[in-house]
Amino acid sequence: MYSSLVRLQNTFGFFTTVIFVVAALIASTDFITPRAPVVSTLKTNSVQVVRGRPHYYSSKKEEYAVIKFSLEADLSSLFTWNTKQVFVYVTAEWPHTPSAIAAGNVTENQAVIWDQIITAPSSDHLANLGPAAMKKLRKSAAGKSIDPSRGKLIIKNQKPKYQITHPSSKIAETDNVVLKLHYNVQPWVGLLTWNQETDFFKWKKLKNGLSKKFALPAIKTKKTEGQKGSSK
Amino acid sequence: MFSSIGNPRQAAAQLMNFGLILSTAFMMWKGLSIITDSPSPIVVVLSGSMEPAFQRGDLLLLWNRNIQAETSVGEVVVYNVKDKDIPIVHRIVRKFGTGPNAKLLTKGDNNLSDDTELYAKGQDFLVRKDIIGSVVGFIPYVGYITIMLSEHPWLKTVMLGIMGLMVVLQRE
Repeated sequence: MYSSLVRLQNTFGFFTTVIFVVAALIASTDFITPRAPVVSTLKTNSVQVVRGRPHYYSSKKEEYAVIKFSLEADLSSLFTWNTKQVFVYVTAEWPHTPSAIAAGNVTENQAVIWDQIITAPSSDHLANLGPAAMKKLRKSAAGKSIDPSRGKLIIKNQKPKYQITHPSSKIAETDNVVLKLHYNVQPWVGLLTWNQETDFFKWKKLKNGLSKKFALPAIKTKKTEGQKGSSK
Repeated sequence: MFSSIGNPRQAAAQLMNFGLILSTAFMMWKGLSIITDSPSPIVVVLSGSMEPAFQRGDLLLLWNRNIQAETSVGEVVVYNVKDKDIPIVHRIVRKFGTGPNAKLLTKGDNNLSDDTELYAKGQDFLVRKDIIGSVVGFIPYVGYITIMLSEHPWLKTVMLGIMGLMVVLQRE
């Protein structure tokens, strides 16, 4: 009955139980921490549509929207002891099909134009950065295990990371385009969470996460076509 | 210790016990599969393309039902590509259209370019049915054991042996 094998088994069983209970408790603290993310500015600075190719060897020509934008947001309440990273991304959303345009269904097409991984100090060592940038990042939070100030974003006249198009290759002269800020909180253990459309207990919905509606202009021909010398 | 071998009734009970453990595990897995509507409700991360969010060996819990909203941009999904066995965990970055035929494009947070290269030949986008679940829960490190088991097959034999031995030697 009390052989060493049984004892080993019991010890291991107890160990895993304790680990999982502690993990579940840590995960549940997310729900008692208030969140009140606010966007103070989300606007476009310049919008243009250019003609280009999906990759160097492609002969296909597509229209790409290049949307420069400014963003000011306070996401500091998302950084808690269980936050591993916050993934912040801005999408452009627009209707394309006639029925969606008529219904004003902006979310018919969604494309990320810019994103950023904000690591918590506890996960800085995992970030994919060069040595200099890594040193700077670690120095910025020296001695701190939680750094809510990283959630304060002030981004001005940001170039988009991704130039977007539509499968039809047409994106110029589109009306009712909006920019939307999203975030995804990645925990050390527990549930992944995103920005909410409604309040959820102690978590407030993301305020002002939408930009004003804007229109994409006609294709800008002068610069891009001139460079490639193949004006149409 | 081996007294049970001489006693057929006890030996049969132990065999039953072993079968019960196996079938319980199987039932729980399949039950979870039905609840989440996913053929594989728990997956282990195999690559670093979603770092720093997910590392090799982390365990992900999936959910494959669209109760409130469609699977859309920003969700981290696990998808299968035709003729490739390994499911991939990446984030949806573009979605064109609505409904089951909406065109979805994915990208790993840690990758520079999107997944067009990873898709089957001639495939530019995913559709909803390629996706076997969206990541909703995260448990670190636990899945590393399966990576070790698949990379060092002899460990599997050793572990099965130990487990079998334990059940046989256990007296109740």
